[in-house]
Amino acid sequence: MSLKDLRQFPEEEYLSSGHLACAGCGAAIAMRYALKALGEETIVVIPASCWSIVPGVFPHTAFKLTAYHVAFETAASTATGIKAGLEMKGDLGTSVMAWAGDGATFDIGFQALSGAAERNDDFIYVCNDNEAYMNTGTQRSSATPYLAWTTTTPTSQPKVEPKKNIMEIMVAHGIPYAATACVAYPEDFYNKVRKAKEIKGLKFIHLLSTCPTGWRIASQFSIKVARLAVLTRIFPLYEVEGGERLTINVKPEFRPVRDYLKMQGRFNHLADQDIEAIQQNVEKTWNKLVKRAES
Amino acid sequence: MKQKINLKHLHDIPPISISLGTMLWNETGSWRYLRPKYVVKTPPCNEACPAGNDVEGFMVLARQGKFREAWELIKEESPFPGVCGRVCFHPCESSCNRKEYDEALAIHSVERFLADSQGQTRRVRHAHRIRRKEQIAVIGAGPAGLTCAYHLGRMGYGVTVFEAHSAPGGVLRFGIPEYRLPRSIVDHEIQDIQSWGVEIKTNTRIGKDMPFESLSTFQAVFIATGAHESRPLNIDGENLEGVYSGLDLLKRIKGGEKIPLGKKVSVIGGGNVAIDVARSALRLGAESVEILYRRSREEMPAFSQEVEEALREGVKIHFLVSPKKILGDGGKVTGVECIRMKLGEPDESGRKRAVPVEGSSFSMHTDTMITAIGEASDLGFLPQEIPSREGLIQTDEMGFVHVRGYFAGGDAATLDRTVAVAIGSGKKSALAIHEYLQGSWSTKRFESIRVGSKGTISAKKYLHPPKGEANPPVMTFKEINTDYFEHHGRVSDPSLSLEERRGTFHEIHLGLTPEMVEEETQRCFNCGVCNQCDNCWTFCPDMAVKKKKDHYEIDYDYCKGCGICFVECPRGAILLEEEMR
Amino acid sequence: MKKVIEGSHAVSYAVMLSRVQVICAYPITPQTHIVEKLSDLCSTGEMQAKFLKVESEHSAMAGCIGASAVGVRAFTASSSQGLALMHELLHWAAGARLPIVMANVNRSLGAPWNIWCDQTDSLSQRDTGWLQFYCESSQEALDTVIQAYKISEKVSLPSMVVLDAFYLSHTFEPVNIPDKGRVDRFLPPYEPKYRLDPKVPRSFSGLTPPDLFTEMRYQIQEAMEEAKKVILHVDEEFDALFGRRYGLVEGYRLEDAELVLVTSGTAASTARDVIDQYRDDGKPVGLLKVRTFRPFPSEEIRKALKNVSKVAVIDRNISFGMGGIFAEELKSVYGNEEEGPIIFGYIAGLGGRDITRETISGIIEYTFEEDRPKKPSLWPDLRR
Repeated sequence: MSLKDLRQFPEEEYLSSGHLACAGCGAAIAMRYALKALGEETIVVIPASCWSIVPGVFPHTAFKLTAYHVAFETAASTATGIKAGLEMKGDLGTSVMAWAGDGATFDIGFQALSGAAERNDDFIYVCNDNEAYMNTGTQRSSATPYLAWTTTTPTSQPKVEPKKNIMEIMVAHGIPYAATACVAYPEDFYNKVRKAKEIKGLKFIHLLSTCPTGWRIASQFSIKVARLAVLTRIFPLYEVEGGERLTINVKPEFRPVRDYLKMQGRFNHLADQDIEAIQQNVEKTWNKLVKRAES
Repeated sequence: MKQKINLKHLHDIPPISISLGTMLWNETGSWRYLRPKYVVKTPPCNEACPAGNDVEGFMVLARQGKFREAWELIKEESPFPGVCGRVCFHPCESSCNRKEYDEALAIHSVERFLADSQGQTRRVRHAHRIRRKEQIAVIGAGPAGLTCAYHLGRMGYGVTVFEAHSAPGGVLRFGIPEYRLPRSIVDHEIQDIQSWGVEIKTNTRIGKDMPFESLSTFQAVFIATGAHESRPLNIDGENLEGVYSGLDLLKRIKGGEKIPLGKKVSVIGGGNVAIDVARSALRLGAESVEILYRRSREEMPAFSQEVEEALREGVKIHFLVSPKKILGDGGKVTGVECIRMKLGEPDESGRKRAVPVEGSSFSMHTDTMITAIGEASDLGFLPQEIPSREGLIQTDEMGFVHVRGYFAGGDAATLDRTVAVAIGSGKKSALAIHEYLQGSWSTKRFESIRVGSKGTISAKKYLHPPKGEANPPVMTFKEINTDYFEHHGRVSDPSLSLEERRGTFHEIHLGLTPEMVEEETQRCFNCGVCNQCDNCWTFCPDMAVKKKKDHYEIDYDYCKGCGICFVECPRGAILLEEEMR
Repeated sequence: MKKVIEGSHAVSYAVMLSRVQVICAYPITPQTHIVEKLSDLCSTGEMQAKFLKVESEHSAMAGCIGASAVGVRAFTASSSQGLALMHELLHWAAGARLPIVMANVNRSLGAPWNIWCDQTDSLSQRDTGWLQFYCESSQEALDTVIQAYKISEKVSLPSMVVLDAFYLSHTFEPVNIPDKGRVDRFLPPYEPKYRLDPKVPRSFSGLTPPDLFTEMRYQIQEAMEEAKKVILHVDEEFDALFGRRYGLVEGYRLEDAELVLVTSGTAASTARDVIDQYRDDGKPVGLLKVRTFRPFPSEEIRKALKNVSKVAVIDRNISFGMGGIFAEELKSVYGNEEEGPIIFGYIAGLGGRDITRETISGIIEYTFEEDRPKKPSLWPDLRR
């Protein structure tokens, strides 16, 4: 990324100031760009998550376009119904975007997502992954990374299960487009949402979004930490089109995962051998990804 | 729009939770305990430039392709971009923050490019100037004197420069070899100075062709006569035929004279004059040129780049060697008796003293010896009342002698003898003269035009005081967010090959192309100065950074003080300070 | 057009006639025939609707919520476990004031597994804010579905049309399938006041604070009250066009009755026969069929049972720790009054056990004999 790539975002905002996100919230930044990519003719479906609270309290909202708050596990299923309703009304132009957290996607809402993917229902599903149930105060989800602290995985009994590989699962459904994104790479995320908008069928974007509150970092490092996740290859940025063609979007030089882990309070308790184990795993996964991209 | 909606009665409340208004009534600025602020920091290159150039400023303009504007920006501080872009030792590059990331910016070459790119521009007779009544005399048309005249001319004063030699330029014309600084460049930039109404009277030595007292018709005098007297070795054999003074030799070569040097040339000294004269000797056909320097490489005052080029071209340097006696035969020099030296305690200049090693004498064969062990000023023409000590005129930081309207600068007033420092001193004195004549001098004013803390001052800051902090802190490398910069090596300045240089005084460095300049200026961090990269606006979660035409503003009603803008500004142009309530 | 059709298919035809545009389908015995028929109708083009084959009942209700929010007519059908699975979304649909109509075929809830008729599933949802109609015949089922869309769209609350498993869903009866044009006259297109429309950008169902929530709940309660009038009004309109009406309750041979059976669903059908028998014997008995459970028709019931001394409620359901649900709600009608009939609550027919004429006679006999019920709930068909 060089300074030459001056950002070319449209200036219109679809969110207004005054919303209730924590200072430094990655999800607020990401939503801002998703909405810029989609424009006014959009319906956003939001299940129980931080974003149920962030836009504010009835009768006020920070959204400048249509948003529908729904029950926890129904992001995908409600989006399916909305899209069907729009089509019956003859409206084929309005985009539908489900914006769900990792809890709502990896765990409780997984069935609905799988159903929508299998039916190839036509909407964009963005999983805003901050790696825990943050809205309820940082409890572990199946998206919580190996050994991360949460209130339900204290340092004395850490999470020993690896992070669920949601991308592989979604790609296996045969959907036309699946991609990862990161809030520190807004142009990449913006372009992916725009791309998704033009494809028919279920488009899944797995977005890594910083939660300074839950990751235990100072809010000012929100973007820096998210960028390190990509630069240390813990969270590679890639897309899978048509279920087959895999393209890696950012190929960073080697950078130790320690740089990423040590910035966050939720990993403070990690011993050197833990970090080494994570490093090895990251390299294994990365090499596999590169091989797949080449074939 | 900013109204909070109050639903009082049952019938006001809709049957479902549906939004009726925005959240703008919720001024989340109240959450803040840290507050971001846009600041301008001093880029280290600006602080390091003795001539006071806005280096960062011209690099930004060059990067935008605005070469004319970049050149004009340099000209606000220094009249000699073409000269400095060739002969300066570029302390800006030594302090460039990029150096700690990969390689320093090639500022020196970019400055030269900008000067050369405006080479064909017709000089415009500047029409709109305030014509002031005061007249100033400048003694010496070297870089210090001419710069002083230039700035005074730009401020609307009438200036007359008295030059002892037949042509203006001083060390620029007579001291620096053609292969480093072609005469045409010097001529061109002096002509531009003259276009500001500066009159140059050549062949006029004050104290000889004109008495010093005749200068009393001027309201102020700037003395910048330089240092043109070669220091003698004070050893036997100095008067033999074949022994030359380095300064004198350079002047004669520049004058076009064909000097019959010998085949085995030796040069005594370690400064720029020694290097210049050694490389010139090679070009004039010497078979071997050897420099004898009494200290080691680290202590050599010559610019290290010049030393490297000299070595490449075939000059040999003997370190820790000092001449004891020059040997001759039939009045002609045949050799030199030397003694080896070792390094002892540091002297007043901070460099280690050279101490002879007992019993280490040896002799060297040489048929030409050139001495270049230092230059001294001839201050004999000055009236008693102007204080001097150890061959330097005593002045304050701005060059004021504090005796009537006398000011001094350049090599005649300091041992820090480089073109850039001379330019800086000429500019300082110009501003000091203006303050003196307007009767409004104050140290506070001087403090406000400083750039950093190395003595650099800015004429632009003087004429157009900036809003905000006058002399903000200097930006360090650790304030750069390197995530936004890919490693990229520095552009290499094409130059003549060794074969091409042999036997000619053609300019060695060929200069950059516009494409190379574009590529190189992209590497500039823009330390501490906003260049509208949009990062702060992009990453604000609360849309509290507002884009204006050429800057950004923070909407403090909503800014939560998260500090992301502060971290993500690649160039530290945002500060995070405590929110005072 | 009169046709002999299965009860479930009667519902399917009603959905088609109501011009439903989005159907969310998930199979569960004994509702499956409803959605199979709808799949048929959609595939042949006889019905213009999106048939979404969702992956669970929970998603079926979510899909209906989404579609209804956009402003189209939505439908789904379920039963027992499926209905229970959608429970949280039933609350959601009512709170969101969406006029979804769902057919629920009454089947018992596990554990243990039992697929036969039991009303506990739909009655467990009585707090959700859905209107509930209990149908006695296939004709009533068809007519009620069509009426339900009109009622729901008027009061902005969802409706559940309830059929007995197997007794109604899987039996064949002659049914008058109304003419499409006439139904269109009765049921105009759905035009909601609030809907998801990008041209009118709004946020829906956002966080609602304590100082506004009570009023919104009050509005739902008011709508339920209003619904009683609307149901009767719609009934009249329906009668005018189709010659049939059902009311909130239906009295059968209530004149001078001293003992009245109160029940719902197909049990009411059997009860009519038994009442006739007793009347032939000169016994002063009658039947009150409760059609609308939500809103609970307290006034109509009080009126109908004005001079009755004993009431026998037959509940094909139970709320553990209390008793038969219709009985308990009936008892609450007389809560603050001094006078009212003595109410005998009977639990019978759970899990598909037939409520036979013998069972009903036994109930009437016992009620005649005893002055007061010995226990709050009596189990006449319990093995001893």
